[in-house]
Amino acid sequence: MKQIKKIKLKNFKRFRDSEINFHEEKNILIGDNEAGKSTILTAIELVLSGSKNKVESIGLESIFNTDIVKEFLTGEKKESDLPTLHVEVFLNEQENPDLNGRNNSDGTISDGIKLVCEPIEELGSEIREILNQDESNFPFEYYSVNFTTFSGEAYSGYRKFLKHLSIDSSQINSEYATREYIKTVYESLAKQNQRIKLRNEYRLQKSKFVEENLEKINKDIDKYQFSVKTGNKSNLETDLTITEDYIALENRGKGRQCFIKTEFALTRSGDGQGIDTLLLEEPENHLSHTNMKKLISRISNSEAKQIFIATHNSLISTRLDLRNTILLNSNSTSPISLEALPEDTAKFFIKAPDNNILEFILSSKVILVEGDAEYILMGALYESVTSRTLENDDVHIISVGGTSFKRYLDLAKLLNIRVAVIRDNDGDYEANCAQNYNGYLDDNINIFYEEDNEKSTFEICFYEDNKGICDELFLPGRKTLTALEHMLKNKADCAFELLDKKSDKLNPPTYLSRAIEWINE
Amino acid sequence: MDKRVVLAVAGSGKTSHIINKIDESSRALIVTYTENNYKNIKSRIMDKVGFIPAGVRVHTYFNFIYSFCLKPLLGNKIKSKGINWDMPLSFTLKLNRNDPKFYLDGHNRLYHNRIAKLLDQYGVMHEVSERVEKYFDLVCFDEVQDFGGHDFNFICKLSPNIESLLLVGDFFQHTFDTSRDGNVNSNIHKNLDTYTQKLTQAGYTLDTELLSHSYRCSPTTCSFVSESTGIKIQSHRDDETKIQLVQSAKLADEIFYDENIVKLFFKDSKRYCGFTENWGATKGLDCYSDVCIVLNPTTLQHYKKNKLNELAPQTKNKFYVACTRAKRNIFLVPESLYRHHKQ
Repeated sequence: MKQIKKIKLKNFKRFRDSEINFHEEKNILIGDNEAGKSTILTAIELVLSGSKNKVESIGLESIFNTDIVKEFLTGEKKESDLPTLHVEVFLNEQENPDLNGRNNSDGTISDGIKLVCEPIEELGSEIREILNQDESNFPFEYYSVNFTTFSGEAYSGYRKFLKHLSIDSSQINSEYATREYIKTVYESLAKQNQRIKLRNEYRLQKSKFVEENLEKINKDIDKYQFSVKTGNKSNLETDLTITEDYIALENRGKGRQCFIKTEFALTRSGDGQGIDTLLLEEPENHLSHTNMKKLISRISNSEAKQIFIATHNSLISTRLDLRNTILLNSNSTSPISLEALPEDTAKFFIKAPDNNILEFILSSKVILVEGDAEYILMGALYESVTSRTLENDDVHIISVGGTSFKRYLDLAKLLNIRVAVIRDNDGDYEANCAQNYNGYLDDNINIFYEEDNEKSTFEICFYEDNKGICDELFLPGRKTLTALEHMLKNKADCAFELLDKKSDKLNPPTYLSRAIEWINE
Repeated sequence: MDKRVVLAVAGSGKTSHIINKIDESSRALIVTYTENNYKNIKSRIMDKVGFIPAGVRVHTYFNFIYSFCLKPLLGNKIKSKGINWDMPLSFTLKLNRNDPKFYLDGHNRLYHNRIAKLLDQYGVMHEVSERVEKYFDLVCFDEVQDFGGHDFNFICKLSPNIESLLLVGDFFQHTFDTSRDGNVNSNIHKNLDTYTQKLTQAGYTLDTELLSHSYRCSPTTCSFVSESTGIKIQSHRDDETKIQLVQSAKLADEIFYDENIVKLFFKDSKRYCGFTENWGATKGLDCYSDVCIVLNPTTLQHYKKNKLNELAPQTKNKFYVACTRAKRNIFLVPESLYRHHKQ
């Protein structure tokens, strides 16, 4: 099985100098917008494709790091300081001397391939001329685009070391993308000699059709005849499509196309042929919840293929095992792997109900609460304590449902997220709140709870501090229940009513105020 | 590991010996010295297996040492732009061996005869061995007699831990001096004994038996060569062929116009029209039946005095190559008889 072990990026888009290690099978890239998820997929695709054309059609000015270009132009503009761009893809053992060598920035003997863009030496004097101009003019046009293996050998698109396929759901309907897709899958499943033979047979069939069928018309015409096109633009590969239940791929809806393309790309023919590297860009787009679940289970069962998925979807990242996740942060260029997450926690999230795990992972400050009532009221309470909004301070509230806080704290520790846990004492604060989280407390993780065991839940605490508004809202119309009893029976509804009618009069219980103050310390 | 040098005679089936070891599943490296032999080996493998097996690599020596050894291991240190096939200017011999100018010309091309030295100087010979070891079980250097200078040191120092490292060559077919550099190993081709001694010192087992008999040449040709030049060659055959010194101008002309007989000249064969070639250029060729060897004045004199063994080594070797092209008869024609054909 052919795998990418790591990628090194230098001056490629937002990555000035980064190194990302990959997992053998699945790699889930998550991150904010602009964090560089697609950039990594693009980088992999460019190097594997060996296509100068692809690089040139994207344009050097859009793949070069803008900061380095700016720095160069505002600096001394020395020719020898012109930045270079590198994308190095390190591979596992490929049993091929053409791939093996020391031509990489690690300087170690490894298997791999790389893309290098550097100024063309022979054009030195022209470059100098450009640099001497007063205006900021970066000599992009004087850069060469080179693909070489770590053995120092040049390669191009004709020689593919890994068969790769990229499925970008934002382009799912583009004719070009579909054609490229069909071609790649076909080439990966049919051997070259097989393909040549089929192409030849297809052409023969066409000319047979002309002879046998068009003849009926042609015989009545003299001098000119009708025929069927053959050649570069009309042959087996250009006419090929993929059908499901006799409906061609391109006539399916976007969602279904997405699904079919991904699923089909995961297949391998009997003798183990198929795609080595699958690059999926936001597969959740266009997919219904059910279809997404199906797709996830299909991906999670696929073997002998390395898959890279850029996603914004919590379900995809949790179901495919959080340990496969690589987190890209928009304010740092060193990605974080969740590989070190404890196994039971990773397994918990595979099975856990749908959750906001990505929101949690991508936040820097989080208040974790137990239930819906706290979740609903937290925003208003936050404002009453700080006079600011949660959005102002970039604080996220996540309801974990039940008491699986520790699972989230495992993640928080790994990612250095500041987390305030708000917990009911359930009648025994010492056991449930204090000792329970012993191993987790640190500068960035703290637990907040009511120390009076009588006030066992949020509602009781809240009622104590807000008797006036609660009685006003919930007592009228009650026959047997007290206002508090009503609140305990209808937690979410009461919380919503409080927020709706009394949001500016809420008085937060002390342990909540402490949590809110602490999170911003 | 079997590290072996097999000294072969002309037409003894050197190439077949190598090809016999190759099959579909081989992990083998074959390095040739000449482009001709490279093509020949490739097509012989194609004939045998039907394609070049995935694990089999055939390289010419300089391609091997540049693309397989130097580029992968030193490519990030030495930014070279190809090979310079000219001999380096002599002043460079005075340069320090650590000076890149010793290896690279003004256009950053590497002097072909110093690539091996460069690998050694940068201390990557053990990595070359490891790299060879990683991809191959069998390594074979053909035409090893043409390795001189630093390149001879290269094959001495190469020691991958593999099944078999095989050198095959015919000492007396040494005709190229491409590898020379100053006085490095400049004397190894003067004497067979010192040559083989160097190889045995480098750990190679010497085998003079395996390929000591020629399939191509008859016993007649073999004893003529052995007795006249002192170069030992025996035959697998038992038929008799003719060796004739041509003295009549008429017969010489008949031979000259005979399109089935190749006329082999010491040099300048291009200046004679018809089916002609130079002695040295026929090395490796196996397509002649009757051969006419045109004797330049020096060779003729030595021949007449029965002192061919005293010819200059280069000339003697080329004469040996020419004689051993013949599957059948040899005609020896004094160059003077063809003077009127010269253009």
